[in-house]
Amino acid sequence: MSGQNDISDERAARYIEVQNSQEFADLRKKFRGFVFPMTGAFLAWYFLYVLLASYAIDFMATKIWGNITIGLVLGLAQFATTFAITMVYARWADRELDPAAAKLAEHMERGELR
Amino acid sequence: MPGSTSSWGVAAITLVCLATVAVGALGLRLSRTTSDFYVAGRVVTAGWNASAIGGEYLSAASFLGVAGLVYSLGTHMLWLPVGYTLGYLVLLVLVAAPLRRSGAYTIPDFAEARLQSDRVRRLASLLVVAIGWLYLLPQFQGAGLALRTVTGGSPALGSFIVAVVVFASVAAGGMRSITLVQAMQYWIKLFAIAVPAFVLLWLWARGGQPLPSVSDPAGPFGGALPAYATREHPLYATYSTMLALCFGTMGLPHVLVRFYTNPDGRAARRTTVFVIALLGLFYLFPPVLGMLGRIYLPDLPQDARADSILLLLPSAMVPGMLGDLLSAVLAAGAFAAFLSTASGLTVSVAGVVDQDLFSSRLNRRLGGDLPRRKTFRLACVVAIAIPYAASWLAPSITLADTVGMAFAIAASTFCPLLILGVWWRRLSVAGAAAGLLVGGGLALGATLATFAGVGSSVSGWLPVLLAQPAAWTMPLAFATAVIVSLATPRSVPLNATRVMVRLHAPEEVTGRVGSHGD
Repeated sequence: MSGQNDISDERAARYIEVQNSQEFADLRKKFRGFVFPMTGAFLAWYFLYVLLASYAIDFMATKIWGNITIGLVLGLAQFATTFAITMVYARWADRELDPAAAKLAEHMERGELR
Repeated sequence: MPGSTSSWGVAAITLVCLATVAVGALGLRLSRTTSDFYVAGRVVTAGWNASAIGGEYLSAASFLGVAGLVYSLGTHMLWLPVGYTLGYLVLLVLVAAPLRRSGAYTIPDFAEARLQSDRVRRLASLLVVAIGWLYLLPQFQGAGLALRTVTGGSPALGSFIVAVVVFASVAAGGMRSITLVQAMQYWIKLFAIAVPAFVLLWLWARGGQPLPSVSDPAGPFGGALPAYATREHPLYATYSTMLALCFGTMGLPHVLVRFYTNPDGRAARRTTVFVIALLGLFYLFPPVLGMLGRIYLPDLPQDARADSILLLLPSAMVPGMLGDLLSAVLAAGAFAAFLSTASGLTVSVAGVVDQDLFSSRLNRRLGGDLPRRKTFRLACVVAIAIPYAASWLAPSITLADTVGMAFAIAASTFCPLLILGVWWRRLSVAGAAAGLLVGGGLALGATLATFAGVGSSVSGWLPVLLAQPAAWTMPLAFATAVIVSLATPRSVPLNATRVMVRLHAPEEVTGRVGSHGD
């Protein structure tokens, strides 16, 4: 990594300029504001499923159709929700994050960083 | 069981091995530069890459282990494959993009780029090797098991075949060829599990056998089972394993490197969407087969392991040629699983051994191609030989459990390093090193103690805590890294701010910042 160590002062200054800009702070905030709660939510849903399987035995063993129980359906639903959440995240990132990032890059280029 | 099964089985396994070597050789002709060798030149389309990730990730634990666990513990074991899948989502949203931007190919590379410390780098390298070896172990054991079950051949032969084929394909082609091989192997695995599953399901529907009593809370297959109900403190054991799966995936050596084969962040996300779909699709089948096993093989035949239920099931349901043929197809799929996961792990372990032990870093800078390849092959031998030898000595713990331990170590070491490294500017060199040492030492110690059989001599909490360590080792590792970092603010690397901008600013920005410097 020696090539990256002796960077010019100008380049270092530009990094600090980005770091200090409001726009960069907003971008990071936007990302964290979406991703951290979402991660918490899907982990909670996953842990809840196992909790239900341990303690809400009667509920999970309720038969919906034939021998198919709520527990089985919720287990399969875990796969469906994992996929759905990934889709939601990918779409959000495409629509919200990427344009904001592109704007930041553009402003930097023109020296209009807020 | 041996008999006509063996000839079909041998033919199917041979076919998979030959296809692996052949496609590997094809990849050899495509890979020309060192970068190709390691990360396939960073250009692999999302569909290919996702198939390759799926191919690499679905290991012996997924192919045989999940069915075995559903068979012996019940449908609630669905949480296990869900956890394998969810780990990818956690990886994607929390660390994938910043890691791509760091420009590091491996976790040791990341440690060095973020912390500017050779020592942390070496520590990370050792851990990559430890996790890789532990993960390789059940692949070899599974291969022995599968070969013995299907052909009656010696278990030693099965693991030897995997070792040789993996060496041949990895040493020859590096990452590019492995990408092709892995992608192919995902589809082999899906086909090899889906077709027998559909045939057996059809036979079951026609035979009019009832579903096993999924809802009977009293039975061994009952709704009362959280997961490890046969063990002590099942809820702790389950939660601890779930944590390990969710947070360990990001730290598996063969997983992360795949994200660099995407050209940009958008492609990386697209790839992950595909991956989760492919994994979810695959994981529908092992539980189905595990449940059928419950109906047709209510008692496990003597000296068979639950892990081999998948291979025993067809003959139990349809004795004769059809059963033999289906067993052979399943065995071929299982072999594809061992080969692909073992190849991916070998590439990663050998890459680290090569980079940090064998060839000088100067060589990499200069792009010295020919000597690099030779040292890489030597590193491959080391990467394969040790776990292969260990697979003879190590006691047979179930496949999913051994893999679970590798996840637990990854979650207790690389997860704190990556998450704090990416999200916390005040992480210091001393803090990172202490976190790796504490998390790695404890999780590795717990694993060795479990292998040594501590569980069989004592009862109560101790063996449970040792067998499923992630729930306490991971928080301890995080706490250690944070506390030591706060106590040693002077060992925060000087350029932490710059590296953090690089990690979090979009590629366009750092690209332009960079263009002013170099």
